[in-house]
Amino acid sequence: MKYICSVCRYVYDEEKEGTPFSELPESWVCPLCGAARSAFVPEEGEERPAPAVKPAAAPVHEGDEEMKELSFGALAALCSNLARGCEKQYKAEESALFLKLAEYFTAASPAPARAGLEELDGLFSADLAAGYPALRTAADEEGDRGTARICVWGEKVTAILHTLMQRYKREGDAFLRDTRIWVCSICGFVYVGDRPPALCPVCKVPAWKLEEVEGRASK
Amino acid sequence: MKMLAVRNLRLCTKDCLCLYVCPTGATDTEDSIIDLSKCIGCGMCADACPSKAISMVPEEYPPQQKKAEHVLTPSHTLANNKAKAEGMARLLAREAESGELYRLLKAVERSLRLVNEDLLRESGYMLPQSANTHELLASWVQEPPAPDFPVEAAKKLLELLPCNEPLEKKMHKYRCTVCGYIHEAEELPPDFSCPVCRQPASAFERIE
Ligand code: SF4
Ligand code: SF4
Ligand SMILES: [Fe+2]
Repeated sequence: MKYICSVCRYVYDEEKEGTPFSELPESWVCPLCGAARSAFVPEEGEERPAPAVKPAAAPVHEGDEEMKELSFGALAALCSNLARGCEKQYKAEESALFLKLAEYFTAASPAPARAGLEELDGLFSADLAAGYPALRTAADEEGDRGTARICVWGEKVTAILHTLMQRYKREGDAFLRDTRIWVCSICGFVYVGDRPPALCPVCKVPAWKLEEVEGRASK
Repeated sequence: MKMLAVRNLRLCTKDCLCLYVCPTGATDTEDSIIDLSKCIGCGMCADACPSKAISMVPEEYPPQQKKAEHVLTPSHTLANNKAKAEGMARLLAREAESGELYRLLKAVERSLRLVNEDLLRESGYMLPQSANTHELLASWVQEPPAPDFPVEAAKKLLELLPCNEPLEKKMHKYRCTVCGYIHEAEELPPDFSCPVCRQPASAFERIE
């Protein structure tokens, strides 16, 4: 029996590996992209990757209510993205101005009322359980393939972030000690390991597009 | 469509063919940026460049794809959630006790910003020259979102970026208070009279 990673398509072949998939420890993660064991689906029933989070279990946070207005935090991302757009068009001055607006919105964005690793992971769970399914349904109804792509990439990256938070909860600093952390500068995929994968498992850009996260600057 | 040449400075080796082939000398500049006031868009340089460092781009970009309202609502909900998570990760990173947790949270913060940028790009803000972007900037100039908002930056952007599609007209509905007839227009002209009951413009009220 073969199991396939719904994030990066890595194939776990029970025959070759010797260990039945069901006997892998809870802490086992995809050797290629770090996705949780629950992100794997049996090769046949491959169409429907089991959602990593059961909708009922997702805690409700105040950020979940429908909102048409963009928050300052979202406007920051909107502006930093337009800065990139200008940069791609070789418009340096415009890019710098959009970055200035982005920095303003980032700084002016109010601090969250409650903050904790649990709360943070709760937001990922909520997006996986409700946010992405709602957006995907709307995109499919409109035949909006650009938005459908967002759902595919964003959902995978969010699943990875969720897995990392779970792992940190279980293993603490240990799995990060003496190794490096990489972020794909295109899709946001996060990878823990000494060397980044040859291709980003989510968006398929080459390794040099994955950037290492620097440690805290020592005082 | 009028085209212009732009050069990717990272790919350019700064030493060769485009300098020879350009009929107007637009490629030969002290800062290596092609002089757009000279460029006539002939494309010779892009064809000649051995490093594929020159692209031909339209002077005016085409309008972007319109986004359906009912895609935008879940998209904005998700964007706000991502922003909230990003803010939380930033705060937690600052407070993190170990270097490991700090790096993890910084990675999460950066990842969330990238995911959100992608999401918002797809929600109607792909192009800096779009009507959406223009309207947003104009609304900030007119009514700054906060007292300390850098209005000049938004103003300057409006000057620098040409808008590549007609701005949507703001339509309003006016109702005749006498007969209930509804007239749709940007503005109700002062000499307007109700086509049904002949009342003057003063008998109308704006309902939307
Ligand atoms: S497109 Fe023609 S005019 Fe413009 S820079 Fe290239 S060679 Fe010169
Ligand atoms: S031909 Fe290409 S590589 Fe050579 S100087 Fe011009 S842009 Fe640079
Ligand atoms: Fe990627």
